[in-house]
Amino acid sequence: MHETALYWADKVVALTENPRDIYWLAQCMYHLKQYHRAVHLMRSRNLEKTFILCNYLTVRCLLAANELNEALLVVNILDVELFMPQSSTISNCINGNLDPLIFDDKPKNQVYASIMFLKGKVLEGMDNRILAADCYKQALQYDVYCFEAFDSLTRYQMLTASEEEELLKSLPLTEQCSLEEAEILRCLYESKLKKYHAPAAVPPCPSKIVYADNRLLQSGHLVLNITPHCISKLTSTPNFISSTSISTPNQPVTEVESKKKLKSMDMESSDTIENPCLEKLKSSLDMIVAKAERLYYNCDFQQCSNLTEVILKQDPWHTGCLPIHISCQIELKESNKLFLLAHNLVDLYPNLAISWYAVGCYYYIIGKSDYARRYLAKATCLDRLFGPAWLAYGHSFAIENEHDQAMAAYFKASQLMKGCHLPLLYIGLECGLTNNIKLAEKFFQQAQNIAPDDPFILHEKGVINFQNLEYKNAERNFKEALEKIKKIHSGPIPQRWMSLLNNLGHTCRKLKKYEEALEYHHQALLLSPQNAAIYSAIGFVHSLIGNTEEAVEWFHKALGLERDDTFSSTMLNYVIEQLSEERPAYPGAPDEIPKYVPRERTRMTLTFSEMEESSVDKDISMSISARDSTKVEESQSNMSLSI
Amino acid sequence: MDLRSIKKDILRGIHDCSQRGLYHSVKWLSELNFSLSHVKLSHQFIPESEEFEDEQEEYLLAKSYFDIKEYDRCAYFVKSCTTPKPRFLYFYSQYLSIEKKKLDNMTDSNCPPDSSKNNSLKNLCEQLQHDFYQNKLDGYALYLYGVILKRLDLISSSIEAFVKALSFEPMLWCCWFELGKLVSDKNSLSLPDHWMKQFYIAHACLEQLRNDEALEICQSLCSQGFENSTYLMSQVALGHHNNRDLDKAINMFKKILELDPYRLDNLDTYSNLLYVQEMKTQLADLAHKVVSIDKYRVETCCVIGNYYSLRSDHAKAVLYFRRALKLNPQFLSAWTLMGHEFMEMKNINAAIQSYRHAIEINHRDYRAWYGLGQTYEILKMYFYSLYYYKQAQQLKPNDSRMIIALGETYEKLDKIENALKCYYKACSVGDVEGLALIRLAKLYDKLNESENAAAAFTEYCLREDDNKEKMYDDQTEFFNALQYLANYHLNKGQLDDAYTYAYKCLECNETKEQGKALLRVIAAKRGEQDNEVKMEDPTENTSPPEETNTSDMNFSLMILENQ
Repeated sequence: MHETALYWADKVVALTENPRDIYWLAQCMYHLKQYHRAVHLMRSRNLEKTFILCNYLTVRCLLAANELNEALLVVNILDVELFMPQSSTISNCINGNLDPLIFDDKPKNQVYASIMFLKGKVLEGMDNRILAADCYKQALQYDVYCFEAFDSLTRYQMLTASEEEELLKSLPLTEQCSLEEAEILRCLYESKLKKYHAPAAVPPCPSKIVYADNRLLQSGHLVLNITPHCISKLTSTPNFISSTSISTPNQPVTEVESKKKLKSMDMESSDTIENPCLEKLKSSLDMIVAKAERLYYNCDFQQCSNLTEVILKQDPWHTGCLPIHISCQIELKESNKLFLLAHNLVDLYPNLAISWYAVGCYYYIIGKSDYARRYLAKATCLDRLFGPAWLAYGHSFAIENEHDQAMAAYFKASQLMKGCHLPLLYIGLECGLTNNIKLAEKFFQQAQNIAPDDPFILHEKGVINFQNLEYKNAERNFKEALEKIKKIHSGPIPQRWMSLLNNLGHTCRKLKKYEEALEYHHQALLLSPQNAAIYSAIGFVHSLIGNTEEAVEWFHKALGLERDDTFSSTMLNYVIEQLSEERPAYPGAPDEIPKYVPRERTRMTLTFSEMEESSVDKDISMSISARDSTKVEESQSNMSLSI
Repeated sequence: MDLRSIKKDILRGIHDCSQRGLYHSVKWLSELNFSLSHVKLSHQFIPESEEFEDEQEEYLLAKSYFDIKEYDRCAYFVKSCTTPKPRFLYFYSQYLSIEKKKLDNMTDSNCPPDSSKNNSLKNLCEQLQHDFYQNKLDGYALYLYGVILKRLDLISSSIEAFVKALSFEPMLWCCWFELGKLVSDKNSLSLPDHWMKQFYIAHACLEQLRNDEALEICQSLCSQGFENSTYLMSQVALGHHNNRDLDKAINMFKKILELDPYRLDNLDTYSNLLYVQEMKTQLADLAHKVVSIDKYRVETCCVIGNYYSLRSDHAKAVLYFRRALKLNPQFLSAWTLMGHEFMEMKNINAAIQSYRHAIEINHRDYRAWYGLGQTYEILKMYFYSLYYYKQAQQLKPNDSRMIIALGETYEKLDKIENALKCYYKACSVGDVEGLALIRLAKLYDKLNESENAAAAFTEYCLREDDNKEKMYDDQTEFFNALQYLANYHLNKGQLDDAYTYAYKCLECNETKEQGKALLRVIAAKRGEQDNEVKMEDPTENTSPPEETNTSDMNFSLMILENQ
């Protein structure tokens, strides 16, 4: 009942003119979205220069009204350092006149943290992301519970994976909270870190999701609530480009966590014994989302989708879960589910980028790139920092072979997401496709600097090496990638990696390791059965080894699936002709021309009826005698012929 | 073999399979059990049928849905079960649902389900694979895993899965059956030593066209107490059919139909037999009977298709084969037969398609390979047709039709030596159609192997001469051969033989003139020889110097006349 509050607050102000009451009045105006009125109320009384909270509220109002320059001016009035007490206890606070500036019994550090966070927001709004990131970090230093600052840092990929870890380590956890809480906090924050830069195993999921004890999280949240934000993890959409000789790995980057992460996971599991609270927290939706993400980046899409569906059943609009869920549906090509989800989202939250992102993704998977672009562009308008939308925007160009435009979109994404290697990877990919191999290598190198353990980058580098005819290097890169993948998958590796195995097969073939090549191709076939490209690759290897018959068989198979594959049909023609040259006429045929072994009787004789017509008596009588003696044999030989 | 313990095994197997909805295995085992009805078991041996298990509620619910073919519903309710039985039902119902949807979505049976759109099957396979690697699959699930792998063309893995499944559940007939269709050689697998293995070996031998072995095993099984099994009888009939013992096979089928008049299994083979023997009335009778039993069975459709084909109503025949394939796109013989019909209708492309599908389903269908060879021969792509004929020949090494076709193709490719070898082989395995010998002779002639050529021609002439009564209209080949021989002997100076052949040439109008000319030359030579004999010592039979190319008979004749 903000209206009521406004009315009575106004009356109170008329009575007292107390700054505290004015603050409350302004707050009511803020809630009623009367930002300029609130700003005027406070500025006309110069409150923003004297009272911290008033200053804070003014900035918030200006930010909400999108007056960024003004906001920055106001926020700079207060130099927070000034107010920063040497000792962090609240009672022992600075000069007396500032004491009343904090009206309520709010802990000081929270207030400072909020102000820093707000400053960060303003700076970010002005596209000054580096300074903004500093502000967020400071906010976290003031108050480790300031989740929003942490989230802003991670969500928009401002930091690289190693920077994120550093940040987490530098947090003054032990000073600000108890040992137990510190553990929990670290664990929670860790679950938020990047997961795709390196592969790692998925911790076992709790089978049933219980409502979490969210107490701690809530206490961690600041009281201030800026505009609702959709949380967006970077979700990578695949782009389906295949190049000629070697099927280019298109897939988005997966993956997961570093060794450090692994260690922390172990730590976590051992913690659970001592810390029942943490155990319970594990079933909080946020933690499950983290698990789903890890599954996603491990390419276990089906499992991931199962998990996200459970989450969305409990909380249909769980903002953290939605992007990962959408990406999963893209991978699984569930256009129907995505259609429904997009519709619901747009109906309920037309102002959220994620809603339009979902719409764009729907059009993307049904192959209507034009529409996809339109809606993805809308998503990026609503939230310029929404990385996934930019990437998907790039993909929509990429599948239509519009390399330049795709690259432009990826560049934009890479500017926005400094700490994310995906845009760089995609740019490299596009460069490779446009035959700009040198440039591609450079981009891959940059990507690798950010995420050294990502098998996708290794794979792409291998492909470039292959194109450069550096087969040794290609093999090394592919194998390294394969090792990294195998480390986290005990059983079969996901289907996504079919092209890696297949490329490894191609490379081994080039290196003349034919047996090994066959081995890899067959492994690839296990991951992706009935694949014409693999069939014809296997056929090719066989024809090189000289197993012509098997080659024919495999090429036949390949053509059975894809009838107008020119490579296979040319090869088949060639191989089949070769076959007729080099193989014996039939299995077990003699080398020499066989001698015809005549059966017993070798002479033709005249029969009796002919004899009568015959004019040469002598011959006839001869033939008669001959005939009698051979009659039996004749019937025998005929029998043997007819058997 | 101890029939009592076998019967116990069978009863247990029937129970287990029916619990899991593997109805074909149940049927097979029950038939076998029926054939053992003379063996009686005392009561305590009959296995308990009801037992209490975990997750029984879910299982019973799912099973009831499964039985009325609501597969998706069935799968939904056993989704999270962990005990093997409902778990199997979960996978199996999903598989059946996928297959059913595929059939339903198939608009035209000429294009079977697109194998590139196998995504749901691949997903199911992935789920199974996951459990497989964790060793969570029991025998039945392993069997299902094998079936799906086979569907995805991963043959070696699927064999592996089947073998593993059998080590757990040796009574799973469907598994033996699938394995028999997949393996290509005899003893490479380590299979459990179970009495079921005998049935498997017989089946596998039949599949690999090692018919005599199969018949032997069937015989021994029959003598061991299974003599009433209609299954074994049908196997025997199939063996005879493959051996081209057509009458025996037909009699066997008649016997089966007497015992079990409503049995439709394998009747398509029976109709093939009747077709080959051109027993029109019997085929018509069979067609009417099977229609009255079940109109929409693949076997029925094939029988009718054959019937129409025999009446040369090829379009209608194709219609019925199509219907069969609509009912079951994996039904091999319908594909092959449809290919034959298309050949009759000169629709080469459709024929190729049909044959190819047949080969995709079973690599060992020599008729389809042969048909493919024929189609490509018509298309004048001889290299291809050579390859296909070769495949067919490999499968039926002693069938002269294949090898003659191979020889013809070599001839077309101008590979005379290879062609010659083929014809030679055809003669040695028994030339049913009687084409090989004359061709062989001609090729010998072409390669200047006149000795061999003459020998072959002689044999040919002798045979033709004996068959004179049933001689066909076209005798030019015969008389050309005679002429060749006459020349040959003349060149060798064997005047008597030359005379005999030349004399025979007179019978035909075309060669009459040349025959007369030859006779004249012979007479002249005789005169010379007589003179020589008088003048010198008789050196009979020394061949004249001009024993040379006789490939062109007229040419050699001219040489002779010029002398």
